[in-house]
Amino acid sequence: MKPRIITKVELGHFVDGLRKDFQVIGPTRKNSEHILSVIHSSEDLDLKYVTTILPPRKLFLPPVENLCSFSSTGEAILTDIKTQKMLILGIHSCDLNGLLLLDRVFGEDYPYPRYLERRRNSVIVAMTCTSVAETCFCDSMGTGPEPKAGYDILLTDLGERFLVEIGTAEGDRLTGLMRGKEAERSDLELKKKILVEVKAKFKKRIDTDGIAEIFEKKLDHPLWKELADKDLACAQCVMSCPTCFCLDIRDQWSSAPGQTVRCVEWDACFLLEFAEVALGGNFRKERSARLRQFMGHNLSWGGDAQYGPVNGQHKCVGCGRCIRVCPVGIDITKVAKEIRGS
Amino acid sequence: MKDPYLPDCAEIVNVKRQSHDTKTHTVRFVDEARQTEFRPEPGQFIMISAPGLGEAPFSLSSGPERNDCFDTTIRAVGNLTGILDRCVVGTRIGVRGPYGKGWPLEKAKGQDVLIIAGGIGLPPLRPVIKTVQRSRDMFGDLEILYGARTPADEIFVDEYEEWKRIKGTTLSLTVDSVPKGVTWPHKVGNVTALFDDMKTSAEDSVVMTCGPEIMMRFVARGLLARNFRRNQIYVSLERRMKCGMGHCGHCQIGSKFVCRDGPVFDYSELEGLPDLTL
Repeated sequence: MKPRIITKVELGHFVDGLRKDFQVIGPTRKNSEHILSVIHSSEDLDLKYVTTILPPRKLFLPPVENLCSFSSTGEAILTDIKTQKMLILGIHSCDLNGLLLLDRVFGEDYPYPRYLERRRNSVIVAMTCTSVAETCFCDSMGTGPEPKAGYDILLTDLGERFLVEIGTAEGDRLTGLMRGKEAERSDLELKKKILVEVKAKFKKRIDTDGIAEIFEKKLDHPLWKELADKDLACAQCVMSCPTCFCLDIRDQWSSAPGQTVRCVEWDACFLLEFAEVALGGNFRKERSARLRQFMGHNLSWGGDAQYGPVNGQHKCVGCGRCIRVCPVGIDITKVAKEIRGS
Repeated sequence: MKDPYLPDCAEIVNVKRQSHDTKTHTVRFVDEARQTEFRPEPGQFIMISAPGLGEAPFSLSSGPERNDCFDTTIRAVGNLTGILDRCVVGTRIGVRGPYGKGWPLEKAKGQDVLIIAGGIGLPPLRPVIKTVQRSRDMFGDLEILYGARTPADEIFVDEYEEWKRIKGTTLSLTVDSVPKGVTWPHKVGNVTALFDDMKTSAEDSVVMTCGPEIMMRFVARGLLARNFRRNQIYVSLERRMKCGMGHCGHCQIGSKFVCRDGPVFDYSELEGLPDLTL
């Protein structure tokens, strides 16, 4: 189907209609921030947002969930995944690219059914990002502001109306439920003009040219120790990162029969015990090594380096959350600049 | 799709004490079909768990020479290993795997094999010794250098005579120290102290080493000084692991996941990576 134009009111009706078949999730306001949460009415939606506190990763990998329980004879019984068709509306390009990277982590060598089943049961209605924050730098990472792939439907806010573009057959089917009219050439031109304006708003950037190799050569750069001195190793950057995938597997013992469970939960390379082994050995005992791991994974040895080449993508998608949440002002774009030495 | 995180029930069918803190458990999957299809390569590892106590990676100390059960040799040093140490015949544990990339046995065909192990680094190399024993004509000479802290820390002691009887095999032992009153007819010193009398040369040989990382560092350096090339030295690395499948991130070293790309690495692959003492 060709691109369409719908008004804000029509988008509201569309969203309300979808709630029959989907759990609709989108950005809603929470005090001064936004979060991704269940939309009970289209009025809950606030599409004029900069970023959400947590990225959409939480919808596919819950912060903690049970993997299995154990019978009294020690047999592991799989904890079922609650599957509900989910429609995620309004996510920005950075977060969408984050999901595409997680798809590779959990879909390639050893498929992870819990993640993949939720992913298969989801529809993505992405948004061209028009709200660039002080901390954003997706443009320089090649991951925004306009999503290039991975969406079923793409919305672009043209002012009082939305441009609707279709990415998949499911997106096409759903768009058929929309009112509105076919988009005109002038609407597509307006989108281009808006994108030019949006791109001019970025204040931060990372020069990614050869950055992976530069990091590998500067493992002993004094910056790692300097930053480690102020770093709190609180791991908020990891928790809010759309592509950080580290997991911990942990048992919860119970004396009640069948109540002992094994959980999977988010973990963070910034935490002291993350690389600890028996007899107190720790391969990243120094805070500087943990900081270097976070930065290096994001800009050097993650992404393509780990999962084979696709469009030269780094693990970092430029969402800027790690900069926003850092209590001591550590800024990955400044780190990249300093390591490069320019 | 079966959830790859779900452990399979396995039963301990034999327990053999190796040293004051180390035991070999012989284990068999409760499900017969699972046991039959379980064909780990030497150097691969499994995830062992006890319900409620957690899960950790352990190397296999047996190889393809048997398919009705498998061995894992565990030193009791922590919570889970402490519990496993107290397991008796009949105890059920959870097992996932095998995972990872093992020793380069294909590459070693027609070559001399030099095994250098330290302490609890010997178990993953035992299946290599067994493979050479079973397919004797496919490999050149076999030389085993093994170092332990004290004579009482040595493991697989009752197998040394059998290993030495494998044609073209030498076994050299060393310990860091010998307590007073203990007779020790072998070398004293680090495992590299055995290098001076080593028979294997850099020509047509493959080295497989496992032990503390600091030991492997000195082993590799010693070998390089004796004209061995980086790409003929294979090391097996230890890291914290929660999944074994490249998901959990704990074992990452730069772009490598030890669980997925290792645990056995060609020494040249590791050049320039962070967080290594090699």
